[in-house]
Amino acid sequence: MTKLYTICFLLLIMAFGFLTDAAASESSFVDEIKNTNERFDTRAVPLARQVTEESVLAMEEYQGGSFRVLARKKSIERYRCSRCHTGKPVTAAQGLELTHGNIALAHGTEGPGLTCIDCHHAQERDYLEDKKGRKIDFDHSYQLCGQCHFRQKRDWLGGAHGKRVSNWAGERVVYNCTSCHNPHSPRFAKRFPATYSVPLD
Amino acid sequence: MSSEKSDSKKKGCASFLDEKSSRRAFLKGLSIAAAAGSAALTTGCIPPAAAMGSEELQLRWQEFFKKNYRLMTQEEKDATVARLERLAKLHNNLDVQVSSEPPLENVLYGYAFNITRCEGFMECVAACVKENNLDRKTHTQYIRIFEMEPGQLDPGTGDGQYFHEVPVENKFYMGTQCFHCENAPCTKACPTRATWREPDGIVVVDYDWCIGCRYCQAACPYYGRRFNWGQAEVPPEEVTTRQHYLGNRLRPKGKMEKCTFCIQRTRKGRLPACVEACPTGARVFGNLLDPESEIRWVLKNKKVFRWKEELGTDPKFWYFID
Repeated sequence: MTKLYTICFLLLIMAFGFLTDAAASESSFVDEIKNTNERFDTRAVPLARQVTEESVLAMEEYQGGSFRVLARKKSIERYRCSRCHTGKPVTAAQGLELTHGNIALAHGTEGPGLTCIDCHHAQERDYLEDKKGRKIDFDHSYQLCGQCHFRQKRDWLGGAHGKRVSNWAGERVVYNCTSCHNPHSPRFAKRFPATYSVPLD
Repeated sequence: MSSEKSDSKKKGCASFLDEKSSRRAFLKGLSIAAAAGSAALTTGCIPPAAAMGSEELQLRWQEFFKKNYRLMTQEEKDATVARLERLAKLHNNLDVQVSSEPPLENVLYGYAFNITRCEGFMECVAACVKENNLDRKTHTQYIRIFEMEPGQLDPGTGDGQYFHEVPVENKFYMGTQCFHCENAPCTKACPTRATWREPDGIVVVDYDWCIGCRYCQAACPYYGRRFNWGQAEVPPEEVTTRQHYLGNRLRPKGKMEKCTFCIQRTRKGRLPACVEACPTGARVFGNLLDPESEIRWVLKNKKVFRWKEELGTDPKFWYFID
């Protein structure tokens, strides 16, 4: 009987030791990171390169603060659109083919596909228009894209989709949706890799 | 005639024995000779003394007796940096700026890699090679991208040598590099303490203290380290001149090297070259100690995992999915 008690006691001690071991190995540096909540002033880091690309203040918030996105309008070749698209209908012969023939529309191809005025404002061509009828500036196209691609927009706001420009420190400047994606054909085209790898040693 | 010659030889021997018989002087002479010999070994192809100016010889001599980077005072760091810059000018006619920038306060670098977004374009690899002055001849690369079968999560099962149009249907891509472990096995394996973890979490190598034994390469479970069998061959016009002592400076032959999270950039607030080059935004880099950083957002809101987490190496490199 005493023998049984001794064995039980020993087993208990072993189990206890095992449990405390497991608990000790669970607290890793990841927990330390999670528990670090002191604010870090990222703008105090001296920067070797300032962001020189033109950017605008975003109309959304990043973790309760403001951030900037890369501007878009300067890189649209024929902006302002209202130079041609005035109140009157454009009657130039073959106007569409000559001016916008380079656009291959391949957006929403898994469904019925999108047309121009699904995104562009039908009357005021200098703007985009969302499904609620709000006028949206070309620099703030994330507001428009986000109505369907809300998951991507959530990730983009948080920092898991898209990326910052140049610096991890300093004021947050991120790429706009249209900096990487062609809005008319947003999927990246297949191509060859930039380089190749050889076997290690 | 012959007896005369042997006689003088004998005399010479005797004079050597007689005059330099002081033990201290003999040992001193021996150690200098040994130092010179091993200097010639470690630096590899020292050009003949006639081809090398006396200034270059002097600088190389001084370089050989410097301390481990961690033991240097700031003055000593500045002095070696100045010597390295001058040597680059004399030897390769390059105007480089070598920095000894210290780590930033309250910064711990972390990295996340989105395996849903990476499409295998390998722009990161090309940018890394260029930024870090990697050898073009042997095709040294710090980053590898693996083409993976669905359902697999170990890069060892992937194809690391693909070269065809990407992305391929029903495959995904996974990148590896040095993971900068908090509990890094490579630093424990080094017999000369030439590799260590910096306070900002970057695992670095002091190329001048590395003896090229490659124990660290054997110790790394992630194949993150590279050995250079020869002096890196980089076209002079492609050399990145903004360098760091522990980073992308032109390494001597026979040294261990690896990803340093582009220490020459990140300590000055910039993103590593691979992050900046990534066309799909699959790479996230930031300060783990900043609760408002993107990397912290990813760790908090995304499904993340680390490769070989069970080893307890605590890599600061997470994979995540959308």
